[in-house]
Amino acid sequence: MKTIALITFAAAALTAPLGTSTPPPARLSVVATTPDLAALAKEIGGDAVDVKALAKPTEDPHFVDAKPSHIVTLNRADVLIEGGAELELGWLPPLLESARNSRISAGAPGRVVASKGIKMLEVPTTFDRSKGDVHALGNPHFLIDPLNAKIVAADIAEHLSQVQPQSADAFKANLQRFNTAIDAKLAEWEKQLTPYHGAKIVTYHKDFGYFAERFGLEIAETLEPKPGIAPSPSHLAQVISTMRNDKVRVVLVQPYQNRKTAETVARQTGAAVLDVSQQPGAIPGTTTYADLMDHLVRTLVSGLQGDK
Amino acid sequence: MSADFAVAWQVMKWPLVACLILPPLLVYLGLHVVKREVIFVDLALAQVAALGTCLALLFGFQFGDRNTFWISLGVTFLGAGLFSWTRSRHRSHVPQEAIIGITFVVAAAGVILMLSRVAGGKEELEHLLTGDILNVTAAEVGERAAVFAVLAGFYATFHKRFAQISSDPDGAFATGLSVRLWDFLFYAAFALVVVSFVRVAGVLLTFAYLIVPAVCAVILAERWLSRLLVGGALAATASLIGLFASYQLDLPTGAAIVCACGLLLVLVGLFAGFRGRAAAA
Repeated sequence: MKTIALITFAAAALTAPLGTSTPPPARLSVVATTPDLAALAKEIGGDAVDVKALAKPTEDPHFVDAKPSHIVTLNRADVLIEGGAELELGWLPPLLESARNSRISAGAPGRVVASKGIKMLEVPTTFDRSKGDVHALGNPHFLIDPLNAKIVAADIAEHLSQVQPQSADAFKANLQRFNTAIDAKLAEWEKQLTPYHGAKIVTYHKDFGYFAERFGLEIAETLEPKPGIAPSPSHLAQVISTMRNDKVRVVLVQPYQNRKTAETVARQTGAAVLDVSQQPGAIPGTTTYADLMDHLVRTLVSGLQGDK
Repeated sequence: MSADFAVAWQVMKWPLVACLILPPLLVYLGLHVVKREVIFVDLALAQVAALGTCLALLFGFQFGDRNTFWISLGVTFLGAGLFSWTRSRHRSHVPQEAIIGITFVVAAAGVILMLSRVAGGKEELEHLLTGDILNVTAAEVGERAAVFAVLAGFYATFHKRFAQISSDPDGAFATGLSVRLWDFLFYAAFALVVVSFVRVAGVLLTFAYLIVPAVCAVILAERWLSRLLVGGALAATASLIGLFASYQLDLPTGAAIVCACGLLLVLVGLFAGFRGRAAAA
């Protein structure tokens, strides 16, 4: 009896890989530097991957505090997705050096550089650190444009398929579904924002340029005089006068930016401070990329409504 | 389990080496500082070193550049010069501790002013305070170990003189020793130690290694050598506790070691208190 059971079991075990019910391969460990990239990786990877983000949703993606767990996570990763364009320049390279993981070294299939296929904005012609958070390769906050998110999603699907060819079909299907969903959503978002075409907004950092370009908004000023440089009194005075002249009604701040500065400016100009984020999870109820964009568009519309 | 350990070892290896072989020299300097009762001189020098780093950033150099190191060292030498110059033979109305305190706050404020002109200044400021001991590389540890070995030789050779001007400056003056010159040499070498260590460990951890083990050692032992041994052992213990806690609880590494130092001081204080009571009874 026992032997028969054993034989059946062994036979089942042997034939199973040939049958239709192939057991799923081990889940890929995917690490993204920021939660927005992690959200895309979850959409594309689905059940075939475990996704972790190194930065917290409320953390400035330019500056992430190194912790031992980051190195351990990177050491075990099969795939690393970074924003690129020097977004993580200040903190990722030393962590990678400590992690010593050739699967995710530069150029390996397991390394995704999201900025690769993106048409970058604000690429500087001269390079000078005193000009602010110098990103020699252009503004790295590109994922806030849904079309860029589609490009990055396709890139992620390609790399995941290279690392785990068995799941390539699933990744392709997931990508298809993501693209369809984003296309539908994009039409919706554009419709919601059409009445505010040409509206001027103020942001803290130069982080909504791609969004403004996509939806026909204009960034009148940033609270930082130059990217990464703390607002100075004379610059804020200039921002206030610009906002009064141009009748700017909203100031966008992300969780890690100084809300007090935005409040001061808003008080002087009667504008509203809008709490938004580019990272899913920073605001409750935003787990996916679409949730995040929904929230952003909704918040912006409600802030701009008084404008018309 | 062993795979976990291999990962842990890989992550914590160089921080561990750095935190075991570099602090003893800091402990030695800390003993001098405690003897001279100029506790905040190291915090002030560390802050001046940070100021020098900011100056380099303002000139457009990166944090890890060689030039940043040299600029930082140059500025810190100026600070060392100031401290040896203000240590007067006669008691003046202005205690040296006041000069040191003033240097600290002005250097700290200077850092804030300079970083307001540097991209990501707020984060650089935090970086200067907390350092990045977790990501220290083999090359960084090696360089510092070499510099520290040379300086340890220097301090060991002239220990008698340094000990004299630390514990009995008036007596040293009386024997005709150029106290100001030796003071400058002392502080200049001190500056080199602080600058090279601050760059990997940050201001907070540098100060903690300089002062906490030295204070514990003064409580527990009498002679220079025994104090150095006790202080070195305590620094190593604090490093181990801090690194272990940092890994297990996933805490920022430098800050975890600083808190471990504080914890050890409390334990040593309690121990000394009980011992004192037992001796009195």
